[in-house]
Amino acid sequence: MSAPATPQASTTPVSNYRPFPGVMDEMIGPDGEMRPHWAGLMAHLTGREPEALAADVARGEQYLRDAGVFFRAYGRNEQAARDWPFSPVPVILHEDDWQEIAKGLTERADLLEMVMADLYGPGRLVAEGHLPASLIAESPEWMRPMVGVAPRGGHFLHFLAFEIGRGPDGRWWVLGDRTQAPSGAGFALENRVATTRVFADYYARARVHRLAGFFRAFRDGLAALQGPAAHAAGSAAGILTPGPMTDTYYEHAYIARYMGLSLLEGGDLTVEDEALMVRTVAGPRPINVLWRRLDAGWADPLEFDESSHIGTPGLMAAVRAGQVTLVNALGAGVLETQALLAFLPGIARATLGRDLRLPNIATWWCGQSRALAEVRRQAARLAFGPAQATQVAFLGGAEGMQAPSDAAARDAWIVAQGPKLIAQERVTLSTTPTLSGGALVPRPVTIRVFLARTPNGWQVMPGGFARIAERADATALAMQQGSSAADVWVLSEAAVPTETLLAPQSAPFVRAEAPALPSRAAENLFWLGRYVERTQGVLRLARAYHGRLSEDGTGPLLAALAEMLDRYGLTAAEPMPEGLFATLASAVAAASQIRDRFSVDGWAALSDLDRTMKRLSATLRPGDDAAAAMGVFLRKIAGFSGLVHENMYRGHGWQFLSIGRALERGAMSADLLAAFADPDAPTGALDLAIELADSVMTHRQRYAVMPSRGSVVDLLALDPENPRSVHFQLAEIREHATAIAGGRHKAQMSGLVRQARTTETRLAVATPSAMTTAALRDVRDDILALSELLGDAYLQ
Amino acid sequence: MIYDIALRLTYRYASPATGGRHVVRLMPVARPGLQRLIAGHVEIEPHPDGRTDRTDFFGNATTDFGFRGAHDGVALQLHARVDRQAPAPPGPATPLARLAAEIADVDSLGPQSPVHFTAPSPRAMVDAAMATYAREVTTPDMTAADVVTAVGEALHRDMTFSAEATDVGTPAADAFAERQGVCQDFSHIMIACLRSLGVPAAYVSGFLRTLPPPGRPRLEGADAMHAWVRAWTGKEGGWIDYDPTNALVPATDHVEVAVGRDYGDVAPIKGVLRVTGRQIGSHAVDMVPVD
Repeated sequence: MSAPATPQASTTPVSNYRPFPGVMDEMIGPDGEMRPHWAGLMAHLTGREPEALAADVARGEQYLRDAGVFFRAYGRNEQAARDWPFSPVPVILHEDDWQEIAKGLTERADLLEMVMADLYGPGRLVAEGHLPASLIAESPEWMRPMVGVAPRGGHFLHFLAFEIGRGPDGRWWVLGDRTQAPSGAGFALENRVATTRVFADYYARARVHRLAGFFRAFRDGLAALQGPAAHAAGSAAGILTPGPMTDTYYEHAYIARYMGLSLLEGGDLTVEDEALMVRTVAGPRPINVLWRRLDAGWADPLEFDESSHIGTPGLMAAVRAGQVTLVNALGAGVLETQALLAFLPGIARATLGRDLRLPNIATWWCGQSRALAEVRRQAARLAFGPAQATQVAFLGGAEGMQAPSDAAARDAWIVAQGPKLIAQERVTLSTTPTLSGGALVPRPVTIRVFLARTPNGWQVMPGGFARIAERADATALAMQQGSSAADVWVLSEAAVPTETLLAPQSAPFVRAEAPALPSRAAENLFWLGRYVERTQGVLRLARAYHGRLSEDGTGPLLAALAEMLDRYGLTAAEPMPEGLFATLASAVAAASQIRDRFSVDGWAALSDLDRTMKRLSATLRPGDDAAAAMGVFLRKIAGFSGLVHENMYRGHGWQFLSIGRALERGAMSADLLAAFADPDAPTGALDLAIELADSVMTHRQRYAVMPSRGSVVDLLALDPENPRSVHFQLAEIREHATAIAGGRHKAQMSGLVRQARTTETRLAVATPSAMTTAALRDVRDDILALSELLGDAYLQ
Repeated sequence: MIYDIALRLTYRYASPATGGRHVVRLMPVARPGLQRLIAGHVEIEPHPDGRTDRTDFFGNATTDFGFRGAHDGVALQLHARVDRQAPAPPGPATPLARLAAEIADVDSLGPQSPVHFTAPSPRAMVDAAMATYAREVTTPDMTAADVVTAVGEALHRDMTFSAEATDVGTPAADAFAERQGVCQDFSHIMIACLRSLGVPAAYVSGFLRTLPPPGRPRLEGADAMHAWVRAWTGKEGGWIDYDPTNALVPATDHVEVAVGRDYGDVAPIKGVLRVTGRQIGSHAVDMVPVD
């Protein structure tokens, strides 16, 4: 709280803002006056006291943390998720400017579709000399298996992104085409939500074009690609993701949830004959539209990189047979080659008869003599990169190439590199205000703009994803190098309608059938149920141990507890056992694979528990302190279970989760009972067993006697009405397993149901005295064996 | 010369596999003026659930097939009758110094275009040792065809044929460091050397006559599928073949199956088998002249 209590006019974030001389600034015009479309936000900012503004920004950051938006940064040997580099001040553009950008990019999208169709079709651009053959042939993204393949539905490109930047004269330039699997649309949405949290009071009246309409139109486009039959059959389009280890996985899960698409990995898919199928718990189900976020090289080990373990063997065969539309087509990555920027202006003139409305950055490929001569003449003012680079040369990044600074050496180097080299103009990018230490400072910016093909043609997202450089020079704009991300506001003159992704109320109402659950998702839900339940179980054990530590430092009961903790991978002596982290980490890992299947609140509850445990682990002391902490953790994880139980749709996913929970609870209860209700167990073990099952009150009410082996086994193993009893868990498993099998094995009882019912019956007819320690261990093993039956039946 | 070719490829799995897809390239290709396929078929056991016969980008006969259910192996049987001619003498080769300019003038992405064969490919990566070697065994004033012969003969002289030293996954650089390998290694090394000098080079898979004509030695590689090299010697010279394992220009003892940038483009069988056990493969070839 070092900021002054009453800010002077001269210390507002806005008043000291000074653009760099000779550099175009988005907010301040060349006359030194603020551009009118920034005035509203700046007035709002000026009116905020520093503490209030800091709290506003913290609200946006909190939203991103709660939503689990993170950015995976790659180090040399490790990768770690770090907080999303959020820059709260949006880049504001007037809708008239935006219209020009949208028209220019739409024209460019059509041009790229034409080039793509030619490169994988007749090859006229090469034959007529508009493109050099060797440049295309040497591209690792020009996919030979796609040559001659007509895309299902007639188009190769359906979702594109363009990197644009503004030069000193105010013109926008295209810096790069993103055609393979452009990311960032989901992050743009999240940035928007976070930014509206920061400027909550102002946003509603700011006349900012909303983003939802764009996503609705794209979703309609995907539905049209599916065709009426597939759409009516309830088959969802899918997002094909490389999986949780990829840096944009969060976005894939987020978009899948937002747009109602299935989130699929290569292993979720299989090709039968030439049809693409999803492996689901109800058997293979056809799918014919995939929004591909996996680079083509990994997509099919039979036709592309043989070493890929994240692809689908036969995907290319399905494409060739016209059975599936990929958004975008395999092989579209060739259009990202920066060297193409040298040829696209000429191709536009040859095919459209005029220059592109929105030019791309001047580029030369040094494999042709005229271009080489030009580059040698201008070398001092150019930036260099490899011919197959996909990033613009002057923004550096991993692909940048440093030319020798000595003029003669540089010239020799250029000639020697020849066809391996491109040269590009350096553009001094425009700057935009960003907050730094409470003040606004100008920083270079590029904007990623998204286009989607819809039944009504290309739609341009009215907004985007702005990257803001950390330093005043623009060379470090890659996210990996510490730039930050901001929202883009397109400001309207008129009031804007509020939009959501939901269909208008006048549309006919259909209760869509949920698509069949992919086997991998079912498996993760099952394990999530098991690991969350096990975490609760070991937390209770650890709490019981530490609670007794202060009273009974060395007794036999404590030793028995320590031994039991050890069986579940926990070292009793540690106040914050490592094994507990491992169990919770398994739960979080399972959850992170199915982020699209439960709510943001559920995820927040789970990651909150993880954070709290890590925070407390350093300071926790054995005994009462640790016991109290375990109680806190138990309440937090109960929060997660409660959210899931209250909110999760009662479909197959919920059933797998519930089976996992019941199976783990049943097996663990039987195991604990076998140990603590054993006739030779130490004094106090029966009370402990009741405590571990959270059934102290129930026992008191039901039996009104001191616990005996008979009463404890009756309540915790045999009582069908006690939600903590082993019997109850088996009834749960049997019910859910019957529901899952309902759609599949109508005539015949599944092996899983039969086994669950057999063990359930055994408990139903048993007397407490028949439930010996050995019998309880048998029951435990029978329950654990159900896991394998489930795996065999559904999870292959 | 007319040949009957029989090939049997067998893979047995230690435990049954569930489902699987394969791509097979076994059928000799038709090449006008050089090779004619009179008749041929590929049998697959067990009977696959779906099969498609097609031609790939480079013109190779390709078969896709898949299994849905459990199976404990796959066997492929090729029978083909092929009429093979010696190649016509090539046109004059281009001097090495002018080859780059002729490649730059190529305005086609068709399968015969040399532009596909200039860049390193996954199994024929150029390393410094091979590039140095290639420079040492050639001179800058050679034609592209001279370069092909010089590199091929040098490799045949300096490398030892050994079926034990390498396997199908050994990188070319390792085989070159050991100076040992089989036809696949000889060919990948020669391809990398030629590309390092700017000569477009392709990988050819095929068969060799099993028993030599009377009075001639038996060629290395005749008991399995064979591989050799095809190089582009310029606009006039076109493509020429060279077999570095036997240091000769393939003529009527060689029958071509498929061509590509390296083994990865022409592998006789590809397929992800969802198995946990070990695969056991066997491979038997017979190529005899028809009287």
